[in-house]
Amino acid sequence: MAAVTLEAVHKSYGKNHIVRGVSLTVADGSFLSLLGPSGCGKTTTLRMIAGLERLDSGRIAIGGGEVDGPAAHVPPERRGLGMVFQSYAVWPHRTVAENVAYPLERQGLNRSERDARIREALAQVRLEAFADRQPHALSGGQLQRVALARALVGRPKVLLLDEPLSNLDAALKEELRAEIAALRARLGTTMIAVTHDQAEALALADQVAVMRAGVLEQVATPQALYAEPNSPFVAGFVGGANVLDGEVRGGAFVLGGVRLELPTAVGDGPCTLVLRPEDAVLEPTGTLPLAARLFLGATTEYRLQLGDVALRVLGPPHPFAQPGTTVGLTLRAARVFPRELR
Amino acid sequence: MKRSALTAALLAPLVIFALLPLAVLVVRGLRSPDAWGLLVDPATFAALRGTTITSAGAAAIAFGLGLPLGLLLGRTDLPWSRAWRALFALPAAVPPFIFAMGWQLLANPRTGLLNTALHLHVDIYSSTGIAFVLGLSALPLVLLPTLASLEQVDAAWEEAARLAGAGPWRTLRDVALPLALPAAGSGAALAFLSSASAFGVPYLLGVTASPPIPTLTTRIWAQVLLGAHGLDQAGALALWLLGLSTLVLALAQRLGKRGRVSLASGKGARRTRLPLGPSRVAVSATTGLVAFVLVVLPLLVVVVASLQKNFGTFDAFTTAHWARLSHDTRTLGAFGQSALLALGTGVIVTGAGLALAWARSRLGQPFGAVAWLAAWPYAIPGTVLALGLILAFSLDTRVVLFDSVALVLALMNTSWLLLVAFSVRHLALGLRAARDGLERVDRSLAEAARLSGANRLRAFLDGTLPQLRGPLVAGFTLAVLASLTELTMATLLLPPGTDLLGTLLFELMSYADPAGAAVLACAVVAVVLLGQAAIAAAAPRKVAS
Repeated sequence: MAAVTLEAVHKSYGKNHIVRGVSLTVADGSFLSLLGPSGCGKTTTLRMIAGLERLDSGRIAIGGGEVDGPAAHVPPERRGLGMVFQSYAVWPHRTVAENVAYPLERQGLNRSERDARIREALAQVRLEAFADRQPHALSGGQLQRVALARALVGRPKVLLLDEPLSNLDAALKEELRAEIAALRARLGTTMIAVTHDQAEALALADQVAVMRAGVLEQVATPQALYAEPNSPFVAGFVGGANVLDGEVRGGAFVLGGVRLELPTAVGDGPCTLVLRPEDAVLEPTGTLPLAARLFLGATTEYRLQLGDVALRVLGPPHPFAQPGTTVGLTLRAARVFPRELR
Repeated sequence: MKRSALTAALLAPLVIFALLPLAVLVVRGLRSPDAWGLLVDPATFAALRGTTITSAGAAAIAFGLGLPLGLLLGRTDLPWSRAWRALFALPAAVPPFIFAMGWQLLANPRTGLLNTALHLHVDIYSSTGIAFVLGLSALPLVLLPTLASLEQVDAAWEEAARLAGAGPWRTLRDVALPLALPAAGSGAALAFLSSASAFGVPYLLGVTASPPIPTLTTRIWAQVLLGAHGLDQAGALALWLLGLSTLVLALAQRLGKRGRVSLASGKGARRTRLPLGPSRVAVSATTGLVAFVLVVLPLLVVVVASLQKNFGTFDAFTTAHWARLSHDTRTLGAFGQSALLALGTGVIVTGAGLALAWARSRLGQPFGAVAWLAAWPYAIPGTVLALGLILAFSLDTRVVLFDSVALVLALMNTSWLLLVAFSVRHLALGLRAARDGLERVDRSLAEAARLSGANRLRAFLDGTLPQLRGPLVAGFTLAVLASLTELTMATLLLPPGTDLLGTLLFELMSYADPAGAAVLACAVVAVVLLGQAAIAAAAPRKVAS
């Protein structure tokens, strides 16, 4: 178990600045999700923590000891980490047990110690019965579990997960998400996961770090991130909020000739409105054209037209709201940011 | 500094054994006393003409046969297409001079089976005959790239043409054919190149023709036999051969690049094959007949000839020649020497190829030039490379280091020079196998080993290398087979008093003992088939991801 600290970490490939000054602390025993769109530098950050990429400048410390920085570069094999790769990287020429045995072989454990630890690790991921199977005879979810067992068997200080659930179908995703959460509760290992899936990040992590274009946008608990996004980007990425560029005039948001009364007082001027789909209520009378209505099961999604911008609203199945009619809109909550340069 | 040391270690042997011979050849050829006179000598031009005509003919035959066969096997519902594919690919593995031997038995103007039994009037000892045999041997060079490019054509492109109103045959003509054409053209250029580099076939069929058909490779060989004073003439001929092959190689690469179609989608939609309809039986029968006559018959006739009492007659069966050869010390010695050389070459080529491929993946672009340097000795004619090695190492080359250590490279007339020649020549096979293998191996397999506590080398050995077994076995086997049956360079570099499988076979065939040669040829074909089976067996298993 160990804390992980990043200080002003930079990484570029040629003129391409991938990571630009990331500073971050992951507390001992906590779970951090690195969340962001593809190409934001989150995977490179994780690979630098692993030691698979060298950083250009800055420092990385694991458990208080510097592993990367101006003075030192500790190679990945001496960092005491475990990692689950996006492609699982289960060696096809070794059986399940042989895969899991490998970190122990490298640690120089003798056979009897190894066998006990392998059994324990396979039991943790419920794969005891598969010890002697060849990897090509396993499903994606089972391969994922082998990778997890192999990453944990050496009792790593920190477990790194690179898009751990992205290659799985929806049902397996749920199952493994629960399993990772249970493992974590039991082992208390520090974990850092990279994901582009906000649901995954919110469900698993104690802290979520949102990255964009090589920079950390916000680091917060999932609840705080959802409730108090500090930028339209975070709000749009994490809650699936509507992000609209318009203007505040006399307490109302104005866009495309439409006025939406704001629930709280805001000064006049150009702004970016962040509105979660569930924070608006449809009214029978109004002037907003309803473009589409999509039945989603638990809720119904409505698409309204604000000038030439579309607005998503979630609500109960209103009988009055039929495509082609016009409706009104009341905002229960909304966040207004100064206009972002985009 | 570590990086430059590694680069130097990999570069030095390449420079000494691959670049230096060529440089010596070019410099000597251009600076010899009568360089210009030798270059435009009428005899030189006659050989250049012979090579150009036979090679162009061979390329035309390979193209004319390979492209339609490619479309037939790759796009129609012809039954057993995989079996046909394997059969038509066989000439790539069997040395061409064994096919030439078969055709000698079939189409000798007086005694050939086709002439005596079927009363045809074909003469294999002619430019057409040489082009024919070379063209058949080069058929896979056109057929296989054509099939590969047809496989890469996105099924959706053809489906789009169908929906736009084109019938199945129209779609073949308008979509598949234009996309396959550059690959087939590039293959035809390579067929020209391999034919211009060939020595055995033009020697067997051209030298005894009346009038003889001179080619560059056979003339170079004759000049080298004359000893020192033939080398200038040989050098001039080699410059023409080098120039011609470089030109054609550039053409092949241009066409090959244009033919590279990128897969538009990973979805492996099942391709609908064109129905041949009622003509299916007739087309199948024709394909079978063509395959039998072109591939099976010439080999079969060699097998039968090896079992005849008198070579060239087909009446009295005997196993006497097999029994005789299996106890012949010279034959066994040649087998042993060839096997030793071939295995040595295989080990060197596989190891060096792996080292180069690994360095290339680690050191990146600047290393591309080295990879190129390693690949070209396979592309240029073996005759040119061998002559370069003769010129470079017949002098007692001494490299003096630190005033005291003298490195004497007296390689001429030793088997070591053959080992060097074969290794340099076939390095491309090892490099290609290792590179293709490395490209396909998921990087995270080695990274997972690093995270598990393995250092860089250990991670390569435990995580990456086991995945390379298939490609490395394939590269090793190809290099061994190619060295085992090599003839062109062996005839030029063989130390006196030594025999190799190829040169012995060749000697027996052209002079003393054609029946014995037929036995050896059968043995060679058997070894080739075994090797191909080994490659197929080592092909990587499918891994679910």
